[in-house]
Amino acid sequence: MARVYVSTVVNARNDRVWARVRDFNGLPNWHPAIAESRIEGGEPADKIGCVRDFRLRNGDRIREKLLGLSDYDMFCTYSILESPMGVENYVATLRLTPVTDGDQTFMEWTAEFDCAPEREADLVGNIGGSVFQGGFDALKRAFGG
Amino acid sequence: MPHIVKSTILKAPTDAVWNVLRDFNGHDRWHPAVATSTIERAQASDKIGCVRRFKLKDGSELREQLLALSDLEQTFSYCLLDTPIPMFNYVAHVRLLPVTDGDRTFWHWESRFTTRPEDAKRLTEMVSEQIYQAGFEAIRHHLSEAA
Repeated sequence: MARVYVSTVVNARNDRVWARVRDFNGLPNWHPAIAESRIEGGEPADKIGCVRDFRLRNGDRIREKLLGLSDYDMFCTYSILESPMGVENYVATLRLTPVTDGDQTFMEWTAEFDCAPEREADLVGNIGGSVFQGGFDALKRAFGG
Repeated sequence: MPHIVKSTILKAPTDAVWNVLRDFNGHDRWHPAVATSTIERAQASDKIGCVRRFKLKDGSELREQLLALSDLEQTFSYCLLDTPIPMFNYVAHVRLLPVTDGDRTFWHWESRFTTRPEDAKRLTEMVSEQIYQAGFEAIRHHLSEAA
């Protein structure tokens, strides 16, 4: 099973960062790779089990299911239902933890999945780099560092 | 039950920080509040269940027991056995996580304890600032001197 772990520090309190990322239908509001998103069946975006159907700027379409969301612990866990990426059993978690020393936020984004062995290095690099770190970089810019 | 959570970011990889923190008998080398430290019964300081005896700079003594230590997770947990201050059921957890964006370290230090209601605020502040926050600053200094 392949594993991705990317983490960063955002220069804002965790409640402000969480307000920006907790919306499971809100990726286009903060992630530069995402063009548009909708929740299937008109369900609320914080209903566990809801499915987001979003389109990347490169045209790819991905469907993901919300598995867990906690405003108390500030994490969001989801799985991929359909994507052109060639991954199976993909589960990812985005987690925020306060840095008490300086009102910053420690952010972790992890994923585990199965794939063809020869594609693992590319997938890990791409998901960790342009998807996860790309999102972090946009948040860091939005919060000034 | 008072619950203390303190965390910081260190500009060093987790392996370098863990190398210092994992020694349950090494706090006298970096923490400003600790004068001397020994492990009772000459046990190894990474043997689960070992007891360290601290003498603090103010002369008071305390005993703490190692409850868990993981080199894989870079975590350890310990509890307070004896102390001259009215803290009871004190259990603390230290955890290091890598900040991959810049090869830094996120250090999380948390504990819970019981005490008399009138002592809760004072003890919480004392542990938060004089032990945890002072420990952060001391390790920051220790690592910059080592570098």
